[in-house]
Amino acid sequence: MISSSCLARTLIPAMAFLSCLRPESWDPCTEVVPNITYQCMEVNLYNIPENLPSSTENLDLSFNFLRHLGSHNFSKFPELRVLDLSRCGIQVIEDDTYQGLNQLSTLILTGNPVQHLDLRTFSGLSSLQKLVAVEINLNSLEDLPIGHLKTLKELNVAHNFIHSFKLPEYFCNLSNLEYMDLSNNQIHNIYHKDLQVLYQIPFHNLSLDLSLNKIDFIEPGAFKDIKLQKLVLRSNFDSMDVMKTCIQSLAGLEVYELVLGEFKNERQLNEFDKSALEGLCNLTIENFRIAFFDEFSLDDIGVFHCLENVSAVSLLNLYVNHLERIPKEFRWQSLELIDCDLEQFPTLTLSSLKRFIFTANEVSNTFGELDLQSLEFLDLSKNGLSFRSCCSSRDFGTVRLKHLDLSFNEVISMSSNFVDMEQLEHLDFQYSTLKRANAFSVFLSLTKLRYLDLSYTNTHVTFDGFFHGLFSLEVLKMPGNSFQGNSLPNILTNLGNLTFLDLSNCQLETIDPTALNPLGKLQVLNMSYNKLLSLDLFPYENLSSLQVVDVSFNRIVTLQIQERYHLPNKLTLLNVTQNDFACACEHQTSLQWIKDQRQLLVDVEQMLCATPAGMKGLPVLSFRNTTCQMSKTIISVSVLMVIMVSLVVVLVYKFYFHLMLLAGCKRYGRGECTYDAFVIYSSHDEDWVRNELVKNLEEGVPPFRLCLHYRDFIPGVAISANIIQEGFHKSRKVIVVVSKNFIQSRWCIFEYEIAQTWQFLSTCSGIIFVILQKVEKSLLRQQVELYRLLNRNTYLEWEDNALGQHIFWRRLRKALLAGKPQNPEGTPDADMQPEATSAM
Amino acid sequence: ALLYPSGGHGWPTHTACRDGGLEVLYQSCDPLQDFGFSIDQCSRHVKQNLSIRFGIILGEDIQELFVDVALVTKGSPFFNFSYPICEKDQPKFSFCGRRKGEKFYYAGPVNNIGFDIPEGEYQVLVEMYNENRSPVGCANATVICC
Repeated sequence: MISSSCLARTLIPAMAFLSCLRPESWDPCTEVVPNITYQCMEVNLYNIPENLPSSTENLDLSFNFLRHLGSHNFSKFPELRVLDLSRCGIQVIEDDTYQGLNQLSTLILTGNPVQHLDLRTFSGLSSLQKLVAVEINLNSLEDLPIGHLKTLKELNVAHNFIHSFKLPEYFCNLSNLEYMDLSNNQIHNIYHKDLQVLYQIPFHNLSLDLSLNKIDFIEPGAFKDIKLQKLVLRSNFDSMDVMKTCIQSLAGLEVYELVLGEFKNERQLNEFDKSALEGLCNLTIENFRIAFFDEFSLDDIGVFHCLENVSAVSLLNLYVNHLERIPKEFRWQSLELIDCDLEQFPTLTLSSLKRFIFTANEVSNTFGELDLQSLEFLDLSKNGLSFRSCCSSRDFGTVRLKHLDLSFNEVISMSSNFVDMEQLEHLDFQYSTLKRANAFSVFLSLTKLRYLDLSYTNTHVTFDGFFHGLFSLEVLKMPGNSFQGNSLPNILTNLGNLTFLDLSNCQLETIDPTALNPLGKLQVLNMSYNKLLSLDLFPYENLSSLQVVDVSFNRIVTLQIQERYHLPNKLTLLNVTQNDFACACEHQTSLQWIKDQRQLLVDVEQMLCATPAGMKGLPVLSFRNTTCQMSKTIISVSVLMVIMVSLVVVLVYKFYFHLMLLAGCKRYGRGECTYDAFVIYSSHDEDWVRNELVKNLEEGVPPFRLCLHYRDFIPGVAISANIIQEGFHKSRKVIVVVSKNFIQSRWCIFEYEIAQTWQFLSTCSGIIFVILQKVEKSLLRQQVELYRLLNRNTYLEWEDNALGQHIFWRRLRKALLAGKPQNPEGTPDADMQPEATSAM
Repeated sequence: ALLYPSGGHGWPTHTACRDGGLEVLYQSCDPLQDFGFSIDQCSRHVKQNLSIRFGIILGEDIQELFVDVALVTKGSPFFNFSYPICEKDQPKFSFCGRRKGEKFYYAGPVNNIGFDIPEGEYQVLVEMYNENRSPVGCANATVICC
């Protein structure tokens, strides 16, 4: 019992520990950032999920069925910073629901049919900065118990049923409030008393959006002496008269930015009366914006006479025509004309104007001239304009221009190299068509230029001095252009300050190895969507600041890895995806490098092999080096095998008959010899053989049995087979009759060679040389082996005299007798006679 | 009706209009929600100021809103366009800037060049997304013109 309880005591904590280790299930929520962000949108929750960690900071519970939020419902999550409860059908929020959420900065309650809010509904929430209470059936700001939320900066109560603009007393506490959205409510009247609280405590930075409230009446002087950051009144008035009266009633307001106008889909005013803006004379405005007024016409410039002293005017989507008539005395510093229905490019003469934005007006004509002496910022993008001669200070009437945007226009013809425009820092030509940019160093005088965008300008760079002069350039965007020979030459020499270079989609096939060397400060290099076949990383070694390199969507088969090569220290991203990688052993180094640098490479898992066929579509990472080692072994073994087999074949071919002899030796074995000697001779010496040799040896005593081809060879068998099987296999000795004819006979030499092998294999000295006639040495030398043997071995020489012949036969018989068996089969009497009987 | 399918697979197919030789059917391809859409004048002669009605409960904030339309006939796409509906600095429509969870109803004209729909059956894929490229709405529509 004791031991089992001990065991239980040990096991229970251990299992508890293990249960902590197992991966948590956040079901039905999704973990976005571990322990911080959880997404539980639309997962049919009826309660706050219990299984999320208490460290959760961002919690999205939107689109569920929470319906009723109880007291201290979120106390389990004290670290919450953002809580999204959009459209959860919440009708009841009990007191102290959010108690304990002292870190919460954003609370979103959009789209809940909240029936009642108690005084303590938002208790706690001591750090709340943003409250989104859009579409929560709110009838009045008074109903919102937020007086204690002193940290509140943004209050969004748009799309409710608020009928009164009266800012309740509690606003005195909300001194940090910067933005209040009351748009799309039911506010019809604004009275002086509604804004009393703004007199008690000044909100210097408060922005108010009252758009989409149908305002009928504003009490004159209601906004007197009030300072606002921004006031938005769009689609508020359903008649010009009401608008005019209401604007007059804003008298005394000091607002940094006033936005008037309508929305494209909420237009109520059918005509515009210039007198509507007369009331603006009694306001202090810094920036004035007006948008989407139908039939708004600038024909009578009197419209703007109350705006003489504003610094910025923005006109959006209006029917504006005669802008030329704006008087020179106006002190506008900034003018925006966006999507206005202008008939032609306006010739402006406003000496105070520093910033002119004229975009999306589609005037479709040629750029005229500007006379704006103070202009520093000019945006003429998206107008369909053509520029016959670009660019010099005369075109714009200013020598102060720092920012020039001519993007998304028609043809821009370069005729001068920015004369008197040395102050230019930002130049954008993207998607306009540049003409004659190669004729001379267009940018030569732009020594202060920091940003140049030539994207998709149809520029074909053929001129080496194209980038000359751009000493300060930091950003160069060149995508969608091309270079001569589809090769990037060494033309970036002046761009030592460049940090960002985009050469994507330039049809580049090669890059001069030294082209990037001058770019010591380069941080980002984009060469994607080109036609590069290989990536040589060597040029990047010098670029010590390089952080990002993108060469995706090229045709790179392999990376060229240099020995002693180091990547720039700061390089953090290298994108080589979507290339044609060859996953073959010949690129093993490159593929191994990819594996080694996987931390650096973007989407390395998605990099696929293009070749060989067997690897196509497989991840580059799946390439195994061991396959290469395997195949190397296989290759070397096979080569060795082939060499050996060929050697054997050659040897077999050369020594075919010798081998047959060897096979025969084994088969017949010893003691099966039928003949005493096999005679090798030339047929020209046959007379001597028949008359002398056969007569003397076969008919003499002891009688020897000779193997002679004319007599003993079996007819119908190949000569070579006869030579080996009949001649050598069945004979003890071989008599070689050497003569001039012998040396010249190929069969004889063949027989002799076989004899040598036979002698070697049978390990006894079986060859007896008989020199029938003296052979010339020179002839003999042709048979080197024979010559050597004759020099070293004893041989018999045929003599013409009787004594010599006698000695000859004696010696021959003796030689033939050596090794003859005592009683061999078929020669029963052969050994009975000693050599003494050999007398002839 | 705009939220939560009542079981089954996918959202039901709705009719946007059926009249004058034209029939427009659509089905939401957003797994999270359906939406309501109708065309006021149903005719194969599309007028310059076509009036539509469109209702949806937003699943995302739409500070910015973009629409992509792809027209497919007989399996091959022949027309694509992308259009910004809401841009950050210049809210063009009253619904721009609306919040996730907010109801959004649009009844009004859609500007277009005015054209006649040729005979045939067309598939239209409409996708709307916000500044974070989060999907706001998605529909597969079938236009049958005879």
